[in-house]
Amino acid sequence: MGILIYGIINSIVFALIAMGFALVYGISRLPNFAHGAFYILAGFLTYTFLLGLGLNSPTSIILSLIIIAGIGAAVYRFLLIRIRGMEASEIIASLAIGLAIMEGLRFAGFRGKTYTLPVFLEGTVRIAGVPVDFQRLIIIGVGVVLIVVLWLFTHHTKVGLALRAMAQDEGAALMLGIDTDFAALIALALGSVLAGLAAIVILPLGNITVETGYDILINAIAVCIIGGLGSWVGAVIASFILGFAQMLTVYIVGAQWQMVVGLLAIILILIARPSGLLARQKELEERV
Amino acid sequence: MAEEVLLQVKNATKSFGGVKAVVDVSLSLFKGEILGMIGPNGSGKTTLVNLITGFVKPDSGEVLFKDKRITGLQPHKIANLGITRTFQIMRPYHSLSAFKNLIVPLYSPRVRRSTGGRLGDRDAVAIDILEEIGFERDAYVPYKIASSLPLGYLKRLELARCIAMRPEIIICDEIFSGLSMAEIATMVPLLEKLQMQGTTIMMIEHRLRELFRLVNRVIVLNFGEKLAEGIPEEVIEKPDVREAYLGTEVDNVRD
Repeated sequence: MGILIYGIINSIVFALIAMGFALVYGISRLPNFAHGAFYILAGFLTYTFLLGLGLNSPTSIILSLIIIAGIGAAVYRFLLIRIRGMEASEIIASLAIGLAIMEGLRFAGFRGKTYTLPVFLEGTVRIAGVPVDFQRLIIIGVGVVLIVVLWLFTHHTKVGLALRAMAQDEGAALMLGIDTDFAALIALALGSVLAGLAAIVILPLGNITVETGYDILINAIAVCIIGGLGSWVGAVIASFILGFAQMLTVYIVGAQWQMVVGLLAIILILIARPSGLLARQKELEERV
Repeated sequence: MAEEVLLQVKNATKSFGGVKAVVDVSLSLFKGEILGMIGPNGSGKTTLVNLITGFVKPDSGEVLFKDKRITGLQPHKIANLGITRTFQIMRPYHSLSAFKNLIVPLYSPRVRRSTGGRLGDRDAVAIDILEEIGFERDAYVPYKIASSLPLGYLKRLELARCIAMRPEIIICDEIFSGLSMAEIATMVPLLEKLQMQGTTIMMIEHRLRELFRLVNRVIVLNFGEKLAEGIPEEVIEKPDVREAYLGTEVDNVRD
């Protein structure tokens, strides 16, 4: 029972982490390798506002998300826009930005295990005999709401439809009067906010360290590759597969092996089904 | 026909690496006409269309729309000004149903502006447009997924997406290619109707016989240069045009 409940929680953590990456890729075809850095930067920003400057939680969270959205948009506007369509350059440039942010944070003194965000609510409840703390319940709530809201947005609103159409063929979208650069900018801002939101709800469970940023990036990429790049439904399914696989690994083999799960899963899926779980044909239908 | 110049290309030149795709081409498009653009493969027709619609920036020269310079504007801005095009290789949104393919243009800034945001039910508008151009509503064709539609419908869907933009100019890039005579016969009245409604049309086409029945004027490109311009019957008699087409196709046209 414990494995089931904590497996679900772990899966939703994966989904939260991958959501921003999947959204950016689904709309703009940009692999944002700075995703992990945005995540960790949002954590440190919130920490600074909350505990460094003593602001209250809502203000700190909103300020952090606004800043992180601005950074995401600026990265697109001033850098990625120039290399759109050159995949290798997109990866190198976004990874470089990510490294710069993360190592910059380290340089600025955010080292060691002294940084942590407070939980939103203290206390635990018992679900079927298993103790679960409120923070994890909040993660489930936020995760499920975001998954549903984003799915509804991309599949059942006209704006979402236009964004999905753009992902299918940018040239055609341009000819039909859509400013695809603006849409990509919005996508990156939104994706960064999602990374920040994930950080703010997940990070109270542990410490904020720069290294976490790398793990987050690897896990986000693992989820998206396994689910099929650009596939929303695939990403959610992949989150659950990875979430439970990692949980079982920790239980059976040992906690130090948990980061191997994502990497191993990437290798296995690339051998068995390179286009991801939801195959190419399906992928076209399910793109964000 | 009132000889009002709607679109003007002035001395446009574009090279890709060492290849001169378009060399010093000038042309005028008059309001309300159908202009044909012909030439052998690789003569620069599509590049010229890309220059006009902003997908490619010219090395030199300029494009004027209603006497305003549009050279170097981004494609979506030019589209929203009222110049739209079909693509040579059809690019529908495969996973969407036919009428949903029109949602994107129906939400473009241009349509929003021209209707003052009061377009009403866009799904209904989309289906009306499709029915106009021969998607049988009774057979539920507008509701079919684009990837399941046969070529003739896909070509018309490309055109429908342009029409949904309420454009002043439609540029058709080989919209007849790959179609049967019967399918072309259903397309021709659609284009004539568009012209009647005041839309200016530019057509790139290899199917000369069908094209010449439709167009008011024709321009011939060869190796990126403008070889000839005028009414079809005269242009086709010119020796250099016949040479460019190696004679054979030209004989076909004359029957």
